[in-house]
Amino acid sequence: MENKFKSGKTENNIFDYVIIGNSAAGLSAVSSIRMADKKGSILVLTHEESLNYSKPLITYYLAGKIKSDDMYFKDKDFYEENKVLLKSGMNILKIDYENKAVITDTNAGFIYGKLLLANGGIPIIPKIEISDSNRSSASPKNEIKDIPGIFTFTNLQDARKIKDYIAGNDVKEVLILGGGLIGLKSAEAFLDLGIKVRIIELSDRILSASFDKQASAIIEDELEKKGSRIYTQNTINKIFVKNGRFDGIELKSGEKINSSLLIMAIGVIPDLSIIKNSDSSTGKDESGHIKSNRGILVDEHMQTSIKDIYAAGDVTESFNSVTGNKASIAIWPLAVRQGDIAGANMAGGNKVYDGGYFMNSVEILHIPTISIGVTNVSGDMEEGIEIIKEYKPEKKYYKKIVIHDNKIIGIILLGNIDRAGIYNGLIRNKVDVSNIKDNLIKEDFGIIQLPSDYKKHLVVGDGIEV
Amino acid sequence: MALKLNQSEFEIDRDKEKCIACQVCVRQCSNDVHEYDEDEGTVLSDNSRCVGCHRCETLCPTGSIKIKQRGSEFKSNANWSAENMKNIYKQAETGGVILTGMGCDKPYPIYWDHILFNASQVTNPSIDPLREPMEIRTFIGRKPDRLEIKAVKEPGGKTTGFKNNLESQLELSVPVLFSAMSYGSISLNAVKSVAKAASEFGTFYNTGEGGLHKDLRCYKKNTIVQVASGRFGVDKDYLNSGAAVEIKIGQGAKPGIGGHLPGEKVNYDVSTTRMIPEGSDAISPAPHHDIYSIEDLAQLIYALKEATEYKKPVGVKISAVHNVAPIASGIVRAGADFISIDGFRGGTGAAPQVIRDNVGIPIELALASVDIRLREEGIRHKVSLIVAGSIRSSADVIKAIALGADAVYIGTAALIALGCHLCQKCYTSKCNWGIATQDPYLTKRLNPEIGARRLLNLLNAWSHEIKEMLGGAGINAIESLRGNREHLRGVGLSEKELSILGIKHAGEAW
Amino acid sequence: MKKIYIKEEYCIACRLCEIYCQVKHSKSKKILKAFKNETDMLSRVLVEEIGYNSFAIQCRHCEDAPCVEACISGAMQKNKNTGVVTCDEKKCVGCWMCIMTCPYGVIKRNLSEKKVASKCDLCGDEEYPVCVRNCPNEALQFKDI
Repeated sequence: MENKFKSGKTENNIFDYVIIGNSAAGLSAVSSIRMADKKGSILVLTHEESLNYSKPLITYYLAGKIKSDDMYFKDKDFYEENKVLLKSGMNILKIDYENKAVITDTNAGFIYGKLLLANGGIPIIPKIEISDSNRSSASPKNEIKDIPGIFTFTNLQDARKIKDYIAGNDVKEVLILGGGLIGLKSAEAFLDLGIKVRIIELSDRILSASFDKQASAIIEDELEKKGSRIYTQNTINKIFVKNGRFDGIELKSGEKINSSLLIMAIGVIPDLSIIKNSDSSTGKDESGHIKSNRGILVDEHMQTSIKDIYAAGDVTESFNSVTGNKASIAIWPLAVRQGDIAGANMAGGNKVYDGGYFMNSVEILHIPTISIGVTNVSGDMEEGIEIIKEYKPEKKYYKKIVIHDNKIIGIILLGNIDRAGIYNGLIRNKVDVSNIKDNLIKEDFGIIQLPSDYKKHLVVGDGIEV
Repeated sequence: MALKLNQSEFEIDRDKEKCIACQVCVRQCSNDVHEYDEDEGTVLSDNSRCVGCHRCETLCPTGSIKIKQRGSEFKSNANWSAENMKNIYKQAETGGVILTGMGCDKPYPIYWDHILFNASQVTNPSIDPLREPMEIRTFIGRKPDRLEIKAVKEPGGKTTGFKNNLESQLELSVPVLFSAMSYGSISLNAVKSVAKAASEFGTFYNTGEGGLHKDLRCYKKNTIVQVASGRFGVDKDYLNSGAAVEIKIGQGAKPGIGGHLPGEKVNYDVSTTRMIPEGSDAISPAPHHDIYSIEDLAQLIYALKEATEYKKPVGVKISAVHNVAPIASGIVRAGADFISIDGFRGGTGAAPQVIRDNVGIPIELALASVDIRLREEGIRHKVSLIVAGSIRSSADVIKAIALGADAVYIGTAALIALGCHLCQKCYTSKCNWGIATQDPYLTKRLNPEIGARRLLNLLNAWSHEIKEMLGGAGINAIESLRGNREHLRGVGLSEKELSILGIKHAGEAW
Repeated sequence: MKKIYIKEEYCIACRLCEIYCQVKHSKSKKILKAFKNETDMLSRVLVEEIGYNSFAIQCRHCEDAPCVEACISGAMQKNKNTGVVTCDEKKCVGCWMCIMTCPYGVIKRNLSEKKVASKCDLCGDEEYPVCVRNCPNEALQFKDI
């Protein structure tokens, strides 16, 4: 493929590598492509701002702890150093599989040699009944997210909108639908800004995906002490709109709450809009489509069901090495790893993805927490499971280790997260811990207590393969 | 419980300005002298437990500790020393024999410090060891009455080589060997340091009564295996694993009694190497129970020569006692290839204090009398003499050789090179330097790589000094110094002492 | 690239490595001043001890460092030339993802001023890292891979 790429200017629309997405997975792929291929042309397309930024930092931005200029995770020289052309403000509509081109919503087209879909996820918008007090309003707003005062919170634009809204309105209290990670981190940001918080969660505890009841209880306690109210096993039945803006809600439990700000944080799902458009316009049967489930399905080389098209990051559904199933695990380290593998393979390599599993570290109200793998065990999963725990709520300390078939499959740490990574290594390498079970719970648990051949492998300095 | 008259011998001077309460001293002291007080955030020291080994002082990162020998003071008494009194207190409390470690520390005369070496002036110019070759290589073993060299001829009459009548010899690159220090009395790391240094420098070390540990088999070319009265670890493999065999009759620190290894130091490894039960005291009998006469000794010497096919020198180690000269003469006639004489200052891992401090004679006098006696009898060439018993510097080495020794053994000096501070508590197995202990927590402290390096440095330094002193006296081969009493002068010695040593007094010319 | 290797059989658990590491990364860099005045010093090398077994462990500066992969702010980077993995404290937001992924558990939470992740940096400007230089038994060695 002839490359007429000149830095700065391009009349060319043919690229050896086209990457949709300017975040963790996409830019990780750029680095690994360049390790193998110093000359091939690379185009990165994004519908967002031009400089890359780390999405997990948006709550810090909201709280005023970081400026938007400082949110980059690859510095400003990255594109120039790696000879990458970045086009921002590009909304990709669909892919033309036959002609190997990506088409934007303004009908601009880019031809690719290899394509990487790293366009991440989109927030889930719930369907809730809207009750508008001005029934005579000319154009009733049907879309919840178009109502002023209601926001999702998954990118920098959202964060800016929320910040502006708070500045322009006298917001004393915010309602947050969803007690998951985004909900909690934004709650923390609002508390830092002096705004009271009410969290509405469908399950019986906050952070239900990663914590169990005891771990959640410690955090819920702390939130309540700092001025939040938490409604569990509850949800929003009705949204009230008055004078064209958000005015309050009615809970399933019947209670009505007035508020001028609602954050919808019930989760993200992979953004499959591009492939849905591509599949429906290709005129081929299913065998010519990109296979997907909840997310784009990829093999161990990060390739989709169509040759030369790869996918990495939050948009994919891939192998969960702890549960053995396929799942969409939307976390930063896996996006980076998958992007790296996809990039290497796009450049002719043969790197293999051996699977990932859920893991997250988040400090909420000065309590550091880490959860990895399968942390909630119930029902028919309980066979062969052993749980070791130590619970000291008065000290805000919790340690839970979930063991299945003598291998650790999950862990929750609250309060003391020192050396958490050692457990992660044991989970990742599926190390048999039958001889050291008693030591796992100890406060001074360390490498010295590990099975000796695994320890030797670590200590002597071979380094562990990651 | 009755009153314990317990006194501190040492006082720990801790500079409060410099102490950062890092607790390194707390962790490193095996006698639990230092303790960290959490509430105050300071370190307190119990002087009564301190043995004066200086481990804490050496490791303190800010140099805030100084160990002073400053016990509580008794009314001054020229006759009853504090030590005499404390020993009686101890024995009144326990009823036991007082044990101690290392060599006699009492102020008996040190003859090395009363002997001076010669230097060249005007005639017989001195030699610069950095510019001229200096031969300090030494050969230990029996020398023939007369060197015979025969040509080896093949049937046709052509000479293919030469044969001499020299018996097996040990070749040393310097006249210094490492003394018998058993594995058991010292740690395996300490023995490894010594063995490694001996092998790299080209000298020998002695296994002592400890048997030969399997990790040391690789050093067999530099090992002298010892056969002591307890016969610990002695089997055919053992005898053939050394370059020479030494029969131990006596040891300078405890003449007349056998070896003593307290049960605390007999762990699994020691017990397998010595072939004795774990945890039990290893006490060697005083005599070899198959040697009750000089003829028995001759029998054992030749039995060992047979077992080693006459390929290795077989020697005998004796303590320096009153009649050491006739004893040595008898041993030569019994067939020994070398005699090791251990003076009363020699070190030990454990010995009753009364014996260590009161039995035996100084090595200088023993050496001189043995050398003179053997020469008078015309049998001096039949053995090499190796002396031990507090050789503290290369000067002592030179003087020993001038008095007639072929080589010297260093024991205490080697351990000091490894870190020993002569606290004399070897028998407790709490050696903070990892030398005289089997406690795995403590033995880790002696890294054999560092230990071997330090011993090599010591041997290197002494070799240079020996060459300097030889060169200064106009000699370029150690053999020219052996027994050459003309190069020595006594100072501050009585007529009798001078005559036993066989040297003139300083001021007398030849 | 030179890395620090541990000889487990020679570690005597004196923890002098921890002390000198703290001093090197303190504000005053002098042992007396640092220990007397500073209360929040953090050692980046950790001595683990059970019975008479012990060893000191610190950042391995891994080739495919899990901490670099997990860092959400781009603070944790592996230097292309020196190979040293360092945390840029200006960019670090204290999310602790690195602590979660480090298989050796050698990254610590530094709460002294701003919340940042702290770990061994091979004492950049020194010929030998201070832990290696001050180990009394040569249990820590600094050599090429």
